[in-house]
This record gives sequence, C-alpha cells and structure tokens, in this order.
Amino acid sequence: MFFSEEVTCRHGGETLTACYQCGTCASSCPVARLDSRFNPREVLNLALLGEKDEILSGDAIWLCTSCFNCQERCPQNVEIAELIFALRNIAIEAGNSPNIYADFGGALIADGRIVAISKFVEKKREEFGLPPLKPVGVEDLNKILEATGFTKPEKTEASK
Amino acid sequence: MSVSKMEQPKVGVFLSDCGKQLSEILDFDALTTFVKGVSNVALIARGSEFWRGKGLQTIVDAVKSGKINRVVVAENITKISDVNIAQAVENAGLNSYLVEVLDIKDHCAWPHRNAPKEATEKAKAMLLSAIERAKLLEPIEKLEFPALKSALVIGGGIGGMQTAVDLTDLGFEVKLIEKQPFLGGLAARAGRFFPTDDCAICIQPPSSDVKTITHTSRKCVYRSGFSEIPNLNILTNSSVVAVEGVPGNYKVTVEKKPRYVDPDKCVACDKCVSVCPVEAPDEYNSNMTNRKAIYINVPAVHPQVYVIDEDACKFNDCAKCVSVCPTNAIDLDQKPEQVTFNVGSIIVATGFKEFDASVIKEYHYDEYPDVITNLELARMIDGFGPTGGEIVRPSDGKPAKKIVFVQCAGSRDRRYNPYCSGICCMISLKNASLIKEANPDAEVSICYIDIRTTGREHEYYYERARDMGIKFIKGRPTEIYADEDKGKLIVDVEDALLKRFLDLEADLVVLATSMVPPEGTSELAKMLDIDLEADGFFKEYNAKLRPTETKQKGIFLCGGATFPKDAPTASLHAHSAALKTAKFLNSGKIVKDLRTAFINDEYCGDCEFCPVMCPFGAITLEPTTENHFVARVNDLLCEGCGVCVGTCPLNAIELKNSKQNQIAAQIDALLSVNGTSKPLVLAICCQECGHTAVDSSGMAKMEYPANVRVIKVPCAGIVRVNQILDAFKAGAQGVMIVGCKTDGCHYEIGSENAEKKADSAKVLLKEYGIEPERLEMFKMVYIEGAQFAEAVQMMTDRVAKLGTLNLMGDS
Repeated sequence: MFFSEEVTCRHGGETLTACYQCGTCASSCPVARLDSRFNPREVLNLALLGEKDEILSGDAIWLCTSCFNCQERCPQNVEIAELIFALRNIAIEAGNSPNIYADFGGALIADGRIVAISKFVEKKREEFGLPPLKPVGVEDLNKILEATGFTKPEKTEASK
Repeated sequence: MSVSKMEQPKVGVFLSDCGKQLSEILDFDALTTFVKGVSNVALIARGSEFWRGKGLQTIVDAVKSGKINRVVVAENITKISDVNIAQAVENAGLNSYLVEVLDIKDHCAWPHRNAPKEATEKAKAMLLSAIERAKLLEPIEKLEFPALKSALVIGGGIGGMQTAVDLTDLGFEVKLIEKQPFLGGLAARAGRFFPTDDCAICIQPPSSDVKTITHTSRKCVYRSGFSEIPNLNILTNSSVVAVEGVPGNYKVTVEKKPRYVDPDKCVACDKCVSVCPVEAPDEYNSNMTNRKAIYINVPAVHPQVYVIDEDACKFNDCAKCVSVCPTNAIDLDQKPEQVTFNVGSIIVATGFKEFDASVIKEYHYDEYPDVITNLELARMIDGFGPTGGEIVRPSDGKPAKKIVFVQCAGSRDRRYNPYCSGICCMISLKNASLIKEANPDAEVSICYIDIRTTGREHEYYYERARDMGIKFIKGRPTEIYADEDKGKLIVDVEDALLKRFLDLEADLVVLATSMVPPEGTSELAKMLDIDLEADGFFKEYNAKLRPTETKQKGIFLCGGATFPKDAPTASLHAHSAALKTAKFLNSGKIVKDLRTAFINDEYCGDCEFCPVMCPFGAITLEPTTENHFVARVNDLLCEGCGVCVGTCPLNAIELKNSKQNQIAAQIDALLSVNGTSKPLVLAICCQECGHTAVDSSGMAKMEYPANVRVIKVPCAGIVRVNQILDAFKAGAQGVMIVGCKTDGCHYEIGSENAEKKADSAKVLLKEYGIEPERLEMFKMVYIEGAQFAEAVQMMTDRVAKLGTLNLMGDS
C-alpha cells in the first residue's frame, strides 16, 4: 500500500490527496515562521510522496500546536490538523514518539490525567486559595482505555 | 406503402456468409432448415453479403414483389448495414422499421469459432429471435412539426452578439435581448483581449454592412452596422419573463424596462448629461466612480442613446434634461412594457460574472479600498475608465507603485468554487503586462498556485511577463492586512520554491477572482426547462459532441453561459450555437420518426412516475375527470429511450418500436434453443454502449462462452423487473443487464435507473427463492469488449456453480 493510502484510510487522514500544495497552510502557520523544522505544506507533500521514514522519524509532526489556522484557511478543505494527528498515531504505532508522550500515557493510566499533579501546580493553587487537586478514580477510565486498545507509548532510547 | 395491422407478416430471411468464411464455422444448411420451419417465413436467401450491391438488390426485389413484408438480415457488419438496408427498404416502399438486422459474425461466429456446434445453435436462437420480433414489428410513421425561421438570443455580450450576426447573415429573424441598457456584457468592460491584444468592443461585422468589403474586416461594435442589420431586433434593458411552447415555436414574453429616452429621437448630444444634477455610482466602472442619473456607459457603446437610472433620477421634481433636449427625446412618464413574440429556437448567451470576493474574509476586499478585482483593474487600465488609464490606489488616488496579484481568489476552492475558472491566469498576465508597459518602474508580483496558460500564444504572455520583470511567487497568500503606519497593504504568503515567508508590501492588491454564473441563471433554466451543472452554469448536452446544445432540442447555449471562457472560445462557441440553430430551423420544419412512447389510457392514471423520470420533459399530466389525470407524451420531445417504460408500475406506457410483447417474444425465442451443455445466460444490452461492447469483443475476435444470448433494447432504463423474472421462467440461469457508464448514459439516467432496478429485483428474486447473484448489472463502453467477454465468463461460471434453477420443480 502506498503511504498516502495508509494515511487516507485512517480517521483524520481522509483528505490528504485533496492537497495541491498552494501553501496557504504554511503562511497561516505560527510555528513554521519560528521553527524551520515544521512546515505543514511540506509535511503533506512528504506524505503524498510516500516519504514515510522522514515523517515518522522527524520532529516536524510533533511541533504542530493544533491551532487549526491552516485547516480554517485551506481552500481544499484538507483537514490539516487532523492529518497531523493521524500521522502522529502512525508514528506512535511504529514506536516513534517523543518520550513526553510516554509520560502522558503513563500519567493517564495511573492518575487519569495527562499532566501529573506537580509541586508547582499545587503551590500555585494554594496561592490562589484553591483547594488541592484530589486524585481521580481511574477504574472506569482504564476500562475505556482497555476497550479502545490504548497502550502507553514506549519510551525510545534517543530521548526527544 | 405501409403494412396494415391485419395483413399477415411474411418474413424474408437473408443469410449472409461473409464470403463463405462464416459457413466454415456455422452450419448454414442447418440454419436454413431451421429457419424454414419457423412460421410466417416466406423467403430464405443465402449470399455473401446483403447490405450493398447485388445482395441489397435481392432484398429490394423481394420487397417490391410483395412476397415479403418483413425483412430479417443476418449480416456481418451490422451497424453500417442496418442503415443501408433500412434506407433501401424504405425506398422500395416498405417502412424502414419493419427491418431487423442481426450480427451473425461479431456476436456469434467469431467469438465462438472454436465451438462451431454451439455457435450454430446460438445462431438459430438469434435468427428465431429476430424473426419473432419482425413478425410483431409495426411501421413507424414520420411526423413533421413546423419550425419558425427565427431565434431569440438571450444576452448581448460577445457570444450573443456574434451568434446574432451569424444567424442574421444566414437569413434568420433574430431578437437579441440584453438585461443592461447597453450591449457588450462583461467582455466590453475587460478593455483588451488576449491573445489578440485588441479592444473588447471589436467584432466581425455583419455581411449586411455594405461598407464591409474585405474578408478580414473587423470593427468596433458601434461602427460595425450591427444595430442596423435589417433582420435583427435588439431589445436592451429587457429580460425574459415567460417561455411557453415547443421546439420550433416558442412563445416568449419579454419585459422592457423604461429607458425614458426615445432611441428614434435621441441624437447623443450630451446636453442632458451636462445639466443633470444627480450623481450615482457607475456600475459599468465597478462603482469606482460616479456618473449622472442620465448617462451612457462609454462613448463607443451601443445603443448610442442615453438611459435614465430610475433609482437615482428625481424625475418631474427636476426634469432639467427634458427642458434642454433639442429633439424632445426624453419622456419621464414611460412605463415598463411587455412584448410577446414567437421564435423557432432560443440561444442562451448569458455569460458569467465575477465572484463576490468579499466572502473570502481573510482578503478583506470589502474593507480595504486598495484590494480590488481584475475587472476593476481593467476599468482603471481602460482610457475611458474612472482614472483615465492611471493605475492608482482607490484609497487616496495616489499612483500605485507596488502591485500584487492574488490568483485563484475563490477558484479551486472547495469552500466557494471548486473549479478552475480557466481564464484568470491569462487575465492577470495581460493586466500585469499592461501595467508594466505603461509604468516600467512599477513593481508587479503575481502569487499563484499553478500558472495555466494552455492556449496558443498564451505561454508567450507568461514569457513576456517574466521578460518585463514581473515577479512570480509560488504560493497562495493566507491573508492580506493593512500596515497602517506604512500606509500599505501586506500580503502574507509563503514562497514555496524558496521556502521563505514573505510579507509583500503593496499599494494595490488585485484579486484574480473566479467567474460564476450571473444572477437569474437558475430562474432562466427553470423557465426554459434546461439543466444546470453542479457549478451553477448551464449544462451542455454532451461536452464532446454537443457542446452548445441542451436536452431541449430547440434551446442552445453559447459563450460563458456554460463555463467561464476567453473571448476566442466564446466566439467559437457562438459560431457553433448559430450553426446548430440554423441546422435545426433551416428547413422550416422538424421531421421526426415517431419511435416514441405511447400511453395505454386503460391502465394509466393518477401516478407521477413517468413525468418525473423522463429525462427530456416529454411527459405531462392531463386531467381527465375531477381529481384524476393521465400521462401524455409529447412526440416532438420524446427521444424513445424507454426510461418511462421501466418506471411505470402498471405497464401503461410502451415504446412503439420496443413493445413489451416484442421484447418478450425475443427473450422466449433466445432461450428456446440451447444446444450447449452450459446454462443459458441472457444479456439485455442497451443499443448504445452495451451492445457495441458486444460488437467490439467480436470484432477483436475475443472468445467467450456461446451460452450467452444477447437482446438489444433502446436503453438499459427500459428493463422491467417482470421481464427479468420472465427470463428466469423461460429458462435463463443468469441475467446480465449491460448499459452505458453512469455518466455516459445516452439518455441521462437510464443506466443509473437500471442499476437501481437490478438492486430491487435482487431483493425480489430472493423472495422467489432465486439466488440474487444470478442477476448482475454491468456498465461498459464500446472499447471495453474484453470486459464483456470477461463478464460472460464470470456469469457462466457463477451460475454453473449455483446449479440449475428449477422454477417449475416442487421445491
């Protein structure tokens, strides 16, 4: 299967081939202006051309802030932000993800939150007079995670 | 001489062996003996070929002698011979619809050459089917419908004017109506044309212009004599409000808005304009400037008669113009009037308009005055325009030094218009070059997705633009915003080739907006009962073969009405529409074979299936008694496809040349002779692509099992569920329906309908205990003969696996 097909048959990846590289997404992107590692137009082009390894091993797809500017402006109704999610899912399945995602996954399974309750947060809440965060029950959540096949992403050796 | 219904059919059967090569495969003696045994066969003749020369004379002689009154010919190049034989038979005095030709070579001998015994049995079945059909054939008469030698052209732009010139030159009476007070349309506002670089108002003058002495002459509209063509009646400021009637004779009602100035008296002296105290936005110049309430668009316009803007004029509260007019041409009390006339055909030349760019919020067209469209720019470039040819910033009137074009503003955009408007690249190249020519110091950039310069001389515009120093940036801007400190616009774009983000400064941003159908398009389509495409433009009947025709045979299309076009293409289109109209009306009558549908009043009533399904609007409902109605077929509009037949729940509508009893007799005959060990499969093929796919497989000598029996019907849409059931009852083990591709169906929806019917028939088959997979719909075109051969093989294998269907058994 061509990589572009692998993407289009996934949830969120369906609209890839509508892209004709006009670059509206790139000029809409706040990240691309600041960090040359990410350019949504280029990511889509790599996907269209089947450069799977470059996408999965690179940093680009993890730099998207999901602001949806590109998706809002795309003249071809390409769901660019959704596509990036789809590509991230493919990357995670292939064992390619920044280690922070493993932390997120681990926190979700253990505490029911993707961001663990940190000392910093607790201190700030105290300052604001907010009650401390209570641990949430994860039993029901874990049933859902199990049913949906969610597994914690593995950490890779080369930490990102 | 037509055969009366009482007369017994006497069938002549003519067997061609194609230079004895077919008799090497098929047992011709056995075929002859078989045919002899069929009732009503009065004559059998064998020969090498029957469609021309001596062979054809044999048929003609037999018809003339009165020995036969039905003709069955087994030929080898059917599709040509069919026409020839029918014509010869007609000339010999027998109705041409009493002829049945079957293709014994391509449909039998060649594809089954390695199974001669089975092939011979199949040939018997084919002959029997043809004879049984011939016996039931009835003569089809021709009817003449009167056609007025006159036409209405709707739209006075470049297409409408050109088609009017052509038709009047050919001697037709033409009425040209234009919604606006002046002719010219969008083209006139475009200033200059590509690739000829001439003025937009330049046309090929009519031959009635005595001063047009040269073949190469072209003139401005106002000096072309266009308005003085004797058989042309121009109605400006007018719109069609009602259309009734049939092809050849339409009754049209037009509403003329008051002009308040009498064209017969007006001398275009300009006095009224100079005294008029009221100013109003000048829509001809895209509201970039004002004009008076009494005005003329530009000096070179037609008619050279002023018009009063009703919304702006103070009428009798002012009336200064009335007092200064030297010829008393102004009448402020004029009222709208309705005019009714009859024409033979109608040509729609309503063109297109610019897309409203304000919808693209991120380009701020309605917010920033210095964001303009290509048409507004064209008005600025025009010496007669609002700036006298100067390119300025509308915000402050200062010269624009940095100009950025933004291509595809609304085109190739699924949110607005998914199509490429096709002409905007060239328009921008033309305008950018004109700016650069006049102001070499101007900095001109074009932001593009793809530059499309596909016509002859068009690439040259791109080349010249680069030579002139125009910059090309590959990228579609995400936003245009105003830098108020600098007093400039900023175009935010990625140069994809350099992988660089640019904030282009601009005095003027020109949007190459897409082109869309003008207001009133869908209302007009409804009035004329013609279709629109999904993009909103008028639907051409067949893009390849009938680009200027519609499903209504008396209504034609030209120019931008079907899609955005440049001037050369609109002009070509206009010539085509004129020629098609002339062909249609030329003889003053429309002659039509009545191979049409007819209603059986006994069964028909109170249902709306066929009028809704008819692709040609040929069926209407007629009241009988109170609250009851029956269907009526308009013979002139009916194309004889039979979609109505396939739709009717009661068998109350039939085709004169494909009656139910004829189809049933053929199916029975085809399935009555087997002679193979394999299960019989019936292929019901439409006469267009389906049947020709069978031809092409045979012509290419592709082999497939001889157990398939082919019956030809006008369109797959005619097939009825009961026929499918009858086929199984008559011994078919499998049934194939072979139609055109959905988009290529010759009758619009026939193939699609057949597919739906096959799906519902499958449900019914299951109810009857018949495996639904014994029925299959196929769609193919002529060149897909291999697909037909494959389909037969597949169905044969499938039904063999399913085993024999025993409908009469006790299970």
